[in-house]
Amino acid sequence: MSRYLLRHEAILAALLVLALIVLALQSDRFFTIDNLLNQGRLMAEVGLVALAMTFVIVSAGIDLSVGSILGLVAILLGVFWQKVGLPLPIAMALGVVVGALAGLFNGIIITRFRVPPLIATLATLALYRGLAEGISQARSVRGYPDWFFVLGQGEMLGVPTQLWIFLACAVVAAIVLGMSTFGRATYATGANAVAARFSGIPVDRTILLIYTASGLISGLAAVIFVSRVSTTRSDMGTGLELDVITAVVLGGTSIFGGRGTIIGTLLGLVLMQALKNGLALAGVKGDGTIVVIGVILIATIIISNLVRRDVDG
Amino acid sequence: MTPLVELGGISKSFASVRVLQDISFDVRAGEVHALLGENGAGKSTLIKIMGGVHRADAGEMRVNGEVVHFASPRAAAASGIAVVHQELLLFPDLSVAENIFMGHAPRTGWGALDWPKMRARARDLLDRLQSHHIDVDARVGSLSVANRQRVEIARALSQDARVLIMDEPTASLVEEDVQQLLAIVRMLRDKGVGIVYVSHKLPEIFALADRVTVLRDGARVGTAPIGELDERRLVSMMVGRPIDQLFPKQETTIGAPLLELRKLGFGSVVRDVSLTLHAGEILGIAGLIGSGRTELALAIFGITPATTGEILIDGKPVSIDSPQQARDLGIAYVPEDRGVQGLVRSQSIAENISLSVLKSLATGLLIDHRKEEKLARESIAKFGIRARGPRQIVRQLSGGNQQKVVLAKWLATEPRILIMDEPTRGIDVGAKSEIHALMSALAARGLGVLMISSELPEVLGMSDRVLVMKNGTLVAEFDRDKATAEAVGAAMTLANASDEAA
Amino acid sequence: MAIAGTMGRRSGASRLVESYGQELVVLGAIVVLFIIVGSVNPRFFGGNNLVNIFSGNAYIAVAAIGMSLVIICGHIDVSVGSLIGVLATIAGTLAVQGYPVWVAWGVPILVGVAINTLVGALIAYVRIPSIVVTLGMLSILKGGLISYTGGTWITNMPPEFFIAQARLFGIPAPIYFMVVLTILMALWMRNAGLGRAIYAVGGNPEAARASGLYPERVCVLAFAMHGFFAGIAALLFATQLQVIQSTVPPNLELTVITASVIGGVSILGGTGTVIGSTLAAVLFACISSALVFLNVSAYWLRAVLGLLILATVLADMARRRRHRAAGRL
Repeated sequence: MSRYLLRHEAILAALLVLALIVLALQSDRFFTIDNLLNQGRLMAEVGLVALAMTFVIVSAGIDLSVGSILGLVAILLGVFWQKVGLPLPIAMALGVVVGALAGLFNGIIITRFRVPPLIATLATLALYRGLAEGISQARSVRGYPDWFFVLGQGEMLGVPTQLWIFLACAVVAAIVLGMSTFGRATYATGANAVAARFSGIPVDRTILLIYTASGLISGLAAVIFVSRVSTTRSDMGTGLELDVITAVVLGGTSIFGGRGTIIGTLLGLVLMQALKNGLALAGVKGDGTIVVIGVILIATIIISNLVRRDVDG
Repeated sequence: MTPLVELGGISKSFASVRVLQDISFDVRAGEVHALLGENGAGKSTLIKIMGGVHRADAGEMRVNGEVVHFASPRAAAASGIAVVHQELLLFPDLSVAENIFMGHAPRTGWGALDWPKMRARARDLLDRLQSHHIDVDARVGSLSVANRQRVEIARALSQDARVLIMDEPTASLVEEDVQQLLAIVRMLRDKGVGIVYVSHKLPEIFALADRVTVLRDGARVGTAPIGELDERRLVSMMVGRPIDQLFPKQETTIGAPLLELRKLGFGSVVRDVSLTLHAGEILGIAGLIGSGRTELALAIFGITPATTGEILIDGKPVSIDSPQQARDLGIAYVPEDRGVQGLVRSQSIAENISLSVLKSLATGLLIDHRKEEKLARESIAKFGIRARGPRQIVRQLSGGNQQKVVLAKWLATEPRILIMDEPTRGIDVGAKSEIHALMSALAARGLGVLMISSELPEVLGMSDRVLVMKNGTLVAEFDRDKATAEAVGAAMTLANASDEAA
Repeated sequence: MAIAGTMGRRSGASRLVESYGQELVVLGAIVVLFIIVGSVNPRFFGGNNLVNIFSGNAYIAVAAIGMSLVIICGHIDVSVGSLIGVLATIAGTLAVQGYPVWVAWGVPILVGVAINTLVGALIAYVRIPSIVVTLGMLSILKGGLISYTGGTWITNMPPEFFIAQARLFGIPAPIYFMVVLTILMALWMRNAGLGRAIYAVGGNPEAARASGLYPERVCVLAFAMHGFFAGIAALLFATQLQVIQSTVPPNLELTVITASVIGGVSILGGTGTVIGSTLAAVLFACISSALVFLNVSAYWLRAVLGLLILATVLADMARRRRHRAAGRL
């Protein structure tokens, strides 16, 4: 298993280096500190959610509702602060808690009622987005105090604040998934949930925790998102789930569960962001870059499939 | 008489590993030709070549004297060769009739499926197999294993098979169903069908076969009429060495009570089960499939916690609501279905063994990989697991070695009570006797072993005491010296035995 | 045989419930909705309200037919929303550039079939999971569409192009498409060898192979047909308004998947019918309209839909569990 993963990650790393070289040759603005840090800023929200999504997919699940949770928490943040009149820090904390609860609710539907994760989160994707739209009635909330923007627009030691948060979360996620008993329980659950249960692994609790974490981190991403763009709207995070899943799968996590690493996800994220940015700088129109990401996703999986088949044969 | 199918000099390699070498084999009309060999001997590959799944690298195959080259299972079926697969290749969501005719359904004039005709013909085929009770419109997923097998046999007959290849057809059947299956096979033989019969169970071979061919390591050891062979000779042909004792049961001293069940129940499938398991004892539980044996084990182990009654360990009442609790109380469960319940087959030996003892291998929350590796190496040595090393993926091991990994995983928890559900199902003769020896040694060290098995010889050969389960409750108990095949078999099947409990 | 007669047969009603359980649930939901909304606000049935709702939503039902094929075959397609957008744009562009109307209608259908045949081949022969391939296709199609159109709307199509606005006996054409295609496909899925092969491959690919079927070809076929229905759906979508927007409704692919699943197509493959998915698409249309007639703010529409989806899914799981429990005893 580990050998295969290294191989996929090696392919990805090689691809990344190649992409960086080509992009750097295309535009001299690409390899500037300013640009790279700014890209890190833009990547943080998708990145945060992708960390949790790696756990979700390794456990043989999927969470399509992350974008909707992000939208719901963003709206609630504004409502708690402006309409209810709570102090902003408490509104932020409450928002993240709501995110965690939304994730927990996903987990309960999946573990208690045995609804396949794809269906369960498809339903809550509609539900949470619907709540966001219903609560906001298409009104946006603005006028946050200046200190709030530190999170999404500020810097610490010259590095965007949210990049620090993302890196800290990434380190924790990598250690938990790769080295802890919880990580091992996640892999076992994804590879064969029945055998894991028969071996004394608390499968349902593991799944509940993973989906709760996914909701919580989507809530955190929502707060950062609002702070970055200075406003809340109910359509925030639409389509986020597909970006996140693409990054995770690009990073070598098997969509069938049981296989994947945080390192792979990080490589996948960086490759996606580098392509978006590099191609934009090279003059490709914004949406052309999505095409390239789609092609890269399919191509990477084809290549690593072919390599793996050689090894097995 | 020309054989129905005749193979000459068949060889086959996968990725430079030679699986079959110069095999000759034939089947005649109206005979049962048993194919024997340990797992990995090449039986499956030979079957797949006859069934059109694989193509031989060398050698030729003749059907009715004519050379054939099957490009697909469809081509083999067209030549009258059908396979009843061990894993029963059926469609659980589709009806019985449709399962029987998938791929060759009767059509109406304009090409649509002819459902009335399909159902009528399915009814007819099932009636020929004395299976009047199977509804042709029932979902196959709702049928018992024995009935699914009949559907698969009906499927073979629907293609006018003149050669029927049966791959371990009794592996997951209980005694009663086995007898009915053997009757069906005999009936087909008498109608002139040639049958290739693969099985690990020697009594069946002697009851059924006309000729026997033994394979070992991809080569043919010999072919002989059944009358010229005895059990001992067959086993030594298969394993290449004589096996002295089929059931190496050690005499042990029975100690204090370890596990006591008092009127334990789970819904309506397990009712009022009371029993005592002592240290050093192997307690065998016999019974038909569906008699509640596995459900009893699942209740004790906390997978589906008991709904009524009491469990006592060392005389103290305990509550078991999850496998974790059961494990922490010193109970281990080697489950019925190795591939699904026992192992994470895509993971390594080391990862599988450590799964039940993750906490004790961890420092804080992080797993100590050196400890894990050490545990795996020790287990491989102790249980004689034939593998390249602790990092080998479990899927690549043979059935017997996989079962040893399951055992190693559970013995790593240092249990005092070991529940083994069908401990040797689908395992070849050599590995079987190793597992039996191990079981015996564990009991000698003072473990209490609760063994559930559908193989009567195993129950009788290994147990200190035998309990018989029927309709969810215990109906009989035999000491080792009183447990005969007749007595236990009768208790398993007779109707009146269960009335007192109800 | 006498024993078989008594044991083997069950009443036709119980069999109907067993084989079409989820379809009946959806149908029941539609009826209940009609009764409630109709009694609160009788105008719900008035004028052309219902006809207009069904007509406007027919393209989702048509797309859901193809999606059902793909899911029954054991796969999924998350790119169909973008595909419909691309095909609609192709149709509009051809029409504006003065090609004959049958070219403007036919080419997008062919392109849909071609694209999804490729997708099916990647899944079947290169063995990439369908969700990964279609995730990639989603990016490619969405990005390609927006970069091509630059976000502008297509207008000035010739009047004969607007097939979705045609009426026969006062009923808009999309309803005919929805009803006729659903019936044809339901019959095909039930009675054609290839239709049954899709169920077989989705239910157990190994067994399908052993039965002499070719799972790879069946998979490609299912995707190709899905492309065909996406093409028709794109035409209905493109011609229902005077303009073609460069974007499709957000999460259209999820709406289509949801229609299939709510209609009783098991996400694990092997079961379901296109009748169910069409009924579910109709149910969605009814719900959106019902909210208007119940004076509920349109902004709550999605929340209500989400709740309903959740309720249906939970009811379905409960029904299946009872089913399983009954099967075990």
